[in-house]
Amino acid sequence: MKPIGSIEEVIRSKLNVTAGPALHDRVLARVRHAKEQFETTAALREPTIRRMIMKNSMVKLGIAAVIVAVLGIGIVEFLGTGGTSGVVWADVAKNVEASPGVIFRSGGTGLRNPIDDWPNGYRITWRSAAVTRTDYYRGGQMYRTIYTNADTKTVIALFHDARKYNKEAMSDEQVQRARADKGRWTDPQGLLNLCLSLEHHALGQKTIDGVLCEGIEATGPDGSTGRLWVGVETGYPVLAKIEGIDDGKVRHTGTMDQFRWNVDLSAEGIEPEIPADYEPL
Amino acid sequence: MLEDELLKWKFKRGSDEALTLIYEKYLNSMLTLALGLLNDAGAAEDVVQDVFVAFAQSRRSFQLWGSLSGYLATSVVNRVRDYKRRQRRLIGRDAEPRVYTDRPGPEQAVILTEQAQLLAEAVGQLPEEQREAVLLRLKAGLKFRDIAKLQQTSVNTALSRYRYGLERLRSMLDGEVEK
Repeated sequence: MKPIGSIEEVIRSKLNVTAGPALHDRVLARVRHAKEQFETTAALREPTIRRMIMKNSMVKLGIAAVIVAVLGIGIVEFLGTGGTSGVVWADVAKNVEASPGVIFRSGGTGLRNPIDDWPNGYRITWRSAAVTRTDYYRGGQMYRTIYTNADTKTVIALFHDARKYNKEAMSDEQVQRARADKGRWTDPQGLLNLCLSLEHHALGQKTIDGVLCEGIEATGPDGSTGRLWVGVETGYPVLAKIEGIDDGKVRHTGTMDQFRWNVDLSAEGIEPEIPADYEPL
Repeated sequence: MLEDELLKWKFKRGSDEALTLIYEKYLNSMLTLALGLLNDAGAAEDVVQDVFVAFAQSRRSFQLWGSLSGYLATSVVNRVRDYKRRQRRLIGRDAEPRVYTDRPGPEQAVILTEQAQLLAEAVGQLPEEQREAVLLRLKAGLKFRDIAKLQQTSVNTALSRYRYGLERLRSMLDGEVEK
């Protein structure tokens, strides 16, 4: 009798089906047509997309943040923080709003690919009103950089592990999405607005990386929580942590730290630089 | 693997070219998987078409992490299960296989060598769970952990199903196929 390994090899190498040209072309035509149809009618399916998004509790927090951003920072002025803190949270919101640029590190756990879980995987983001640069790290190695510029409507991606790059024009939808980032929990300003808008309480003071901070903890309607620590002296966020449960199963966490506020990004290497030996994708 | 990462990234950004390259790269392996699971060439074509159509429409929700072949193979398995459930409801038993092609030719929808046909028929005689475990491991390269997840069972059970499947194939195929 053949050994098991030989049966494995036979199945692996000899059990192969090939699509005939007619089948190949017919299915490809349908696949392309389906994509085309989907792209052109995407707007009509907005309610479905919304339902899909709302399944994710972390994204729900983000949606709430967008709503808050629309209502305007002015409302924040009237929100109490439930404590007699040295931090005036309305001033924090103003400081963050007025900061021309910010650099921060972010990461998370509970991602589909554990290799990208914090702290093995993380991102460093440079962000101003229209321009963002994000460096993606895995195991201490930077493997991707993405530049977006909502003014020039361009996005440039550098794949450092493949020494390739891709440069594309941004669609209006992508520009809109990039501009809306400031209203999302993935953005420090969005997270701050969100924490202040939800039911929250003071966490007191603690020292983080040598900086005396005060914190608040906000809880979303689905039990997701956000904790934000602000420097007492500076009035700027120092650390943000969020936690959520997706469909009652997977625990997601997100962290933002190593903030640098009030940065002039034009002097910080945010301009896209494509290394000479990188080839187009 | 890196090539897949680039393809996924371009697909996510709406590239038609990336979608076509993914299709070209995985059409035959997904067809092999579907045919092995269904033992029915016509149904396999339908399943694979549905999988790629759904994939093309998933651009916005598609996640960039995870293996592309694993994602497509899982989609094939889920569609095959749906198809079988529908068939059982329609006729109250497993559908009879339609036909395999007798002789490969350029106009035929699905082309198999004689040996591949023999193997597909042997695999088709395995119990469903064993068939899935063998094909997902050997034709889609899934890890036993992922097979177990898909079959909603333990890794040990998935491994046993794979082993039993191979044992059966060995006794069915002994002397019939050359390595």
